[in-house]
Amino acid sequence: MLEYREFCLRAELEGEVLEAWIAAGWLIPEASEGPRRFSEADLARAHLIRDLHDDLGVNDEGIAIILDLIDQVHGLRRSLRDLSAALSVLPEPMRVRLQEELRSRRRPARA
Amino acid sequence: MSADPYTVLGVKRDASQDEIRKAYRKLAKKLHPDLNPGNKDAEERFKEVSSAYDLLGDAEKRARFDHGEIDATGAETPRQNYYRDFAEAGPQSGAGRYESHAGFADFAENDDVFAELFGRRAAGTGAANIRMRGADLPFHLHVDFLDAVNGATRRLSLPDGSSLDVTIPPGIRDGQLLRLKGKGRPGLGGGPPGDALIEIEVLPHPTFRRESDDIHLDLPISVTEAVLGGRVDVPTPTGPVTMTIPKGSNSGSILRIRGKGVARKDGSRGDEYVTLSVRLPKTPDPELEKFVAGWEAGKRDNPREGGGV
Repeated sequence: MLEYREFCLRAELEGEVLEAWIAAGWLIPEASEGPRRFSEADLARAHLIRDLHDDLGVNDEGIAIILDLIDQVHGLRRSLRDLSAALSVLPEPMRVRLQEELRSRRRPARA
Repeated sequence: MSADPYTVLGVKRDASQDEIRKAYRKLAKKLHPDLNPGNKDAEERFKEVSSAYDLLGDAEKRARFDHGEIDATGAETPRQNYYRDFAEAGPQSGAGRYESHAGFADFAENDDVFAELFGRRAAGTGAANIRMRGADLPFHLHVDFLDAVNGATRRLSLPDGSSLDVTIPPGIRDGQLLRLKGKGRPGLGGGPPGDALIEIEVLPHPTFRRESDDIHLDLPISVTEAVLGGRVDVPTPTGPVTMTIPKGSNSGSILRIRGKGVARKDGSRGDEYVTLSVRLPKTPDPELEKFVAGWEAGKRDNPREGGGV
């Protein structure tokens, strides 16, 4: 875990900017009581926010939307992984049946 | 990466800095790995594009490249981990608390399978995840001064009746926190357990004081030892050692015993500093009184002189 100052240093952030990001909910440091601490994941997230802002020219409103969608994508991806792991324990005939069903849905609709 | 950076960014060799920045932004928006969580190709291409931009985005570097002073690989800087690497690693990575299922709650409404997938997670606080790391369990542990200096093993009783052996590393400080991974409260929904957080309180010692890695100690010596010198036993954290007091030692003189201080992580130790304190005999001694009364030089000696007292 990273202390506040080390985090600012490694994320190349001014304390003021970090406070604003935390206030906006873009970063959620660990521990509600005592000194706030950050994980390597928080650090990577801070780099992502900087990329969006500095390199990709996204403004603050845009960053909020992008982070929200990214968080949803990761939630969805994990659910899909869980689903895929759960499906893999089904007996073979059921999996084949499932594949057929999916294939038929991808086929363009015909009158 | 040795492809021509102009080709990579798709700009002409005489493109303006502004055109280069725009071209980079356009590509980066499409290829940034965090915007393409499962796409390995995007990552590779993003690397190419960013190193091309590292070179051409900086007018000075670009000029040096154009003049052949540095090649296309000269600008490649290794990038830190991407956020997606943590998000993909699961909640243990610390990214879990950002993960959101709020947008898929509708799937959970009608279908049993999806209710299982999304429903439980979307319930509660919305963005929160039911799979949670267990809480940290705080403890307070009194450690004897010498155990803190030398290291020790202590047994903690847990609330559930079991016990936990805690290794106190040598040199631990007052107020330091020991974290025992996975010894906290159990996780929820298959989440990992929390940690035991042990706050160490080091008890004071009647004779030793600690300053950083050194031990300080006041050592009373007799008038005879002070005047004539001698060998005395001195306590140290690892047991007594014999120390030579030089002839004519005074109160306040400090002697150092190397390597008898606090154990350090690398196996070495700090030093012990012994401050001498000359003591008269406990009961007044007539013979000493008689000797000092007849000691002429003692009557002229004024230790306050020149000391500003």
